[in-house]
Amino acid sequence: MSGAIRSELVKLRTTRTFLGIVIATLGLIALLVGVIAAVAPFEPQETPGFDLVDTAGLAQPFALVLGLLAVSTEFRHGTITPTLLATPDRIRLMAAKLAAYGAAGLILGIVAYGLAALLMSVILPLRDISSELPFGDAVELVAGGVVCIALLTAIGVGFGAVVRNQVGAIIGGLAWMFMVEPLLTAIPTVGRWVEDYGLGGAISGVTGSGFGGEPAVGQVVGGLLLLAYAVLFAIAGALLMRRRDISA
Amino acid sequence: MPAIEVNGLSKRFGATLAVDDLSFSVEAGKIVGFLGPNGAGKTTTLRALLGLIRPTAGTTTIEGRPYADLDDPTGTVGAVLDGGMFHPGRSGHNHLRSIALAAGVATERVDELLELVSLGDAANRRAGGYSLGMRQRLGLAAALLGDPRVLVLDEPANGLDPQGIRWLRDFLRSLAAEGRAILVSSHVLSEVAQTVDEVVVIHRGRSIEQAPIGELLAGRGGGVRVAGPDAGRLADLLRADGAVVSDGHDGAIVIADRSGEQVGALIAANGIHISELASAGQTLEEVFFELTSDEQPETAGEEQAA
Repeated sequence: MSGAIRSELVKLRTTRTFLGIVIATLGLIALLVGVIAAVAPFEPQETPGFDLVDTAGLAQPFALVLGLLAVSTEFRHGTITPTLLATPDRIRLMAAKLAAYGAAGLILGIVAYGLAALLMSVILPLRDISSELPFGDAVELVAGGVVCIALLTAIGVGFGAVVRNQVGAIIGGLAWMFMVEPLLTAIPTVGRWVEDYGLGGAISGVTGSGFGGEPAVGQVVGGLLLLAYAVLFAIAGALLMRRRDISA
Repeated sequence: MPAIEVNGLSKRFGATLAVDDLSFSVEAGKIVGFLGPNGAGKTTTLRALLGLIRPTAGTTTIEGRPYADLDDPTGTVGAVLDGGMFHPGRSGHNHLRSIALAAGVATERVDELLELVSLGDAANRRAGGYSLGMRQRLGLAAALLGDPRVLVLDEPANGLDPQGIRWLRDFLRSLAAEGRAILVSSHVLSEVAQTVDEVVVIHRGRSIEQAPIGELLAGRGGGVRVAGPDAGRLADLLRADGAVVSDGHDGAIVIADRSGEQVGALIAANGIHISELASAGQTLEEVFFELTSDEQPETAGEEQAA
């Protein structure tokens, strides 16, 4: 099993796509945190530290895309064939991918929040603005944010295995996150349920930073909800993978 | 126990029966050519053998077990299949390293194989920039990572230049001499005729012949071409003996069902004056064509399914 996970990690690290996603994620976070911390008109008594570190949540869609590529890239380039020749047990392969990409998402999340926190704590004092962030708040913010990013990567792995077509997986995944769910919330009753317990609701819960006011679910429930989505897609993806004919 | 055994294999893709009750086997130390026109079901069969495609009916085993049940798949069977098989942005070295890790093969073996297939200098370049020949060799290196006892190659000669085909032929010969069983598919008989011990010919998903390559010829024409002033007299003598003789170009004759030795003996015994005696290179090809050309091959077979 460890061999299959290490193989996935090598495959993950050795294409430009991965490097591109990491650079884009961290670059965007650095840019936004840097610019806001440096020039935003804060009142002297404000403590914008929390919001600035929370900006690292921008890594969420990137993490989802990273996961979506895990299986879809293998189908796009036909590498699924040598991959399955070396690891014929497809359930094991999916488990290895989940472990490798989950770990990659975890690290991406830690680096993203670390970068945001670093920039915030360096730049704000230069303007004599308080970079204060209570320890308890910081732990909740970073732990929730990092777990969210890791689980979104895992959700991407499962979703990508279900859809398989690379472009379809990326468009489908992002559309679901940013378009389908927000549109569904317009429907009475069902919409309320989607808003509270859908992907967006779960993300708001685990990160504790909803757009429209207080999230309906708490941090732990939000995290468990995201985990449930990850497990659900992983099972669906693994079962579909097991049935599939690999023709190219 | 045969190295490879395909038993009553059938595979249906929608309305198309790509493989239809196909059976054959490959013994250790033998190179078997798996021949048929494009769309005959070759790729589907090889992919079923490797556990990539679920058969509709029948079984495929390698050393007596289905691929998915092998304890050490990479060390048992290596395969080169059509269709990419590598990420264009990843270097040849990293491609092999990722497979070696999953297969539990030592990473030193990666460099060893890159040297063996003459890719040492290109090892750290992105594989997308490799020539067709280099890609085929990278595929071979991947197949050999686990030092397997069985090799399965799908159209390995595709796109290779004559030197590449020659290199491949010598390479496969040396691998078979080490006792490995090799199953190599092709839609061009001449590419593999000099390499293989036996052929399995399939058409429209069905096996129509499995025989040593010599036997395939024997029944259908030794294919000997004779030219010279007395060719006509030789033809008469052969016809009197019941041989199948046809007239070729420039007064030459082609004897379909006699060997060169048999014709030579007849020439010597009768004091016949000839200028040329050669085995007709086309004949093997013609046999293959005859076996597989009852109708236009169905294009809805493996290519579209792939």
